[in-house]
Amino acid sequence: MGKSILIIDDEDLVRNYVRRALASRGWEISEANNGATALDLLRRKDFDAVICDLKMPDMRGEEVIKKIRDMLPGMKIIAITGSVSNITTPLVPGVELEGFLIKPFGIDEIRDLIEKVTGSEPPAERP
Amino acid sequence: MTTKANILVVDDEPQIAEMISASLQANGYSVSVVYDGEQAVRKIGSEKFDLAITDIQMPGMDGITALGEMKKLDPEVEVIIATGHGTMGTAIQSMRKGAFDYLHKPFEIKELLAVVEKALEKRKFNDITKAIFSTIKPEELLRVTLDSVTRILKAEESLLVLPDKDGKLRVAVSEGLDEESRLNSRLTLCERMMKRLDGGAKSFLLVDEPARDKTFSDLPGIGEIKCALFLPLMEENRPAGLISINRDQEGEYFTEADLQRAKIFGSLVNLALRNSNLYRQLQETQSQLIQAEKMSALGQLAGGLAHEINNPLSGILGLTQLVLESAKPDSQTYTDLKDIEKAVFRCKKIIVSLLSFARQEKTRLEPVSVNEVIEETLTLCARQMELKSVRIDRNFAQGLPLVTGDFQQLMQIFLNLFSNARDAMPDGGELTVETNLLKDPAGRELVMSTVSDTGAGIKPEILDRIFDPFFTTKPVGKGTGLGLSVCLGIIHRHNGTIKAHSRPGGGTTFTISLPVS
Repeated sequence: MGKSILIIDDEDLVRNYVRRALASRGWEISEANNGATALDLLRRKDFDAVICDLKMPDMRGEEVIKKIRDMLPGMKIIAITGSVSNITTPLVPGVELEGFLIKPFGIDEIRDLIEKVTGSEPPAERP
Repeated sequence: MTTKANILVVDDEPQIAEMISASLQANGYSVSVVYDGEQAVRKIGSEKFDLAITDIQMPGMDGITALGEMKKLDPEVEVIIATGHGTMGTAIQSMRKGAFDYLHKPFEIKELLAVVEKALEKRKFNDITKAIFSTIKPEELLRVTLDSVTRILKAEESLLVLPDKDGKLRVAVSEGLDEESRLNSRLTLCERMMKRLDGGAKSFLLVDEPARDKTFSDLPGIGEIKCALFLPLMEENRPAGLISINRDQEGEYFTEADLQRAKIFGSLVNLALRNSNLYRQLQETQSQLIQAEKMSALGQLAGGLAHEINNPLSGILGLTQLVLESAKPDSQTYTDLKDIEKAVFRCKKIIVSLLSFARQEKTRLEPVSVNEVIEETLTLCARQMELKSVRIDRNFAQGLPLVTGDFQQLMQIFLNLFSNARDAMPDGGELTVETNLLKDPAGRELVMSTVSDTGAGIKPEILDRIFDPFFTTKPVGKGTGLGLSVCLGIIHRHNGTIKAHSRPGGGTTFTISLPVS
């Protein structure tokens, strides 16, 4: 049975293709377009990994990620962002992420990363 | 010269006042007369006078008190005290209060005129000093300076020479030398004088009848000059330029007093020039600050823009790839989608370049590959070059050592050079970018990069000004004139050099050398 993934992004276009890219490989996908909805979902349901955009209106991605880490210390978290061109400083200070992707990213990049962090295929390994 | 000086005569004895007034008027001065101290002070407050001649013993306000009041109202007015009851005491008192000189009654008209003339000369000198120090723009300052010195020293012709960027002396301003051949001959005179000076510090140099001096006798038209005076312009205690002042009237030699004036004047001018230089440096710094501000604004803008564009771009990429998965590999749809995918990657690359260019943080020095800097920059301009039919020719040396530098700032230099090259070739052409490794005379390794275009070239007379802040050949609103001066600033911070070579019609080449880390 496929793992369960939550994708948090205010951008419909991004959620749309990420969901379809992962769903077509058997992962079960839930979506949230803001931090509050996401945290609510995480309280009610078990997930294997979370993909979270950093720049969102209302609650910032960094804050959402910190709250998830506090609430569910073992959760695999992947950050996605379109605001930087390269990573020179930690994306979310004080939180060690399981992975990140810089937009625009392709469908294989997100599939490979999810496989890696959830250990669905190759053994888990930190980037 | 304009009208002669304006003089106020103050004496309670109308006869004496009229007598002084008449003799001054006879000598061309414009004169007003008042009969007591209060009137004198009122007059000074309402009209502009160059000089006042006042009696001491007067009913009401006495001369010494009036002197003090007049100086309060107009510190520049010169005052001569005239008294029949003069003792050394009143004389000293009046000098302390700022009188220029004093006269004992009865005095001869000749005596009066001599003192008046001296006072007015001091006044003129003060005016000139003020003019020089209130002029801060270099070109204007040089003009004011030469005008004044020519007037003070009653010369027929004069010129001011300063070195250009290559150290060659050039005429900055001249007077009484309209013909080019005469001007050139005088410039050669100055060049030879500089050689004679040989770096020594002198306040002035005098050559009577330079035609008789072996050093100068072969110069065309040297016989016109009867008497040549040179004032060295100093820079860091070495003569950098000269003011050359020539008299051409037979027997009109410079007097001891002239030389004294020249000496004082020379030191004034040097001080003023240093002021002006400091001002120019200040302006340059300011303009670089403005540029830095602009860059930081652009950085913020680019950050926001990247976010806005990257989201939809990510959607285009992802959806394209999803459709690709179900498209037949040999169909037109498949090919089209592949093209869209490629286009997205091109956009991504451009945004990455834009971000790395615009993110202007503090100068961050790290080992940098010059080839990589140029490659990144070319990515950013490739499309614009294509639009203008500019072909890019890369000729990079492989395996170059790294230099110590700030990646973004170095990109800024090349971006500037590339866009200048593009603008120089409105009808297309070739942009050649080369990198090389070489050694300087001291044996240090340098990474040298050259950027050449096949454009219109730069005229020789402006080639040495292209790095000056605000210098631009582009139409108003097109260029700020800051690009190359910012480049120069960055290059200096990297201990490197940048040079331009150009021939009109033969394109322009910029050469940048950076020391290997």
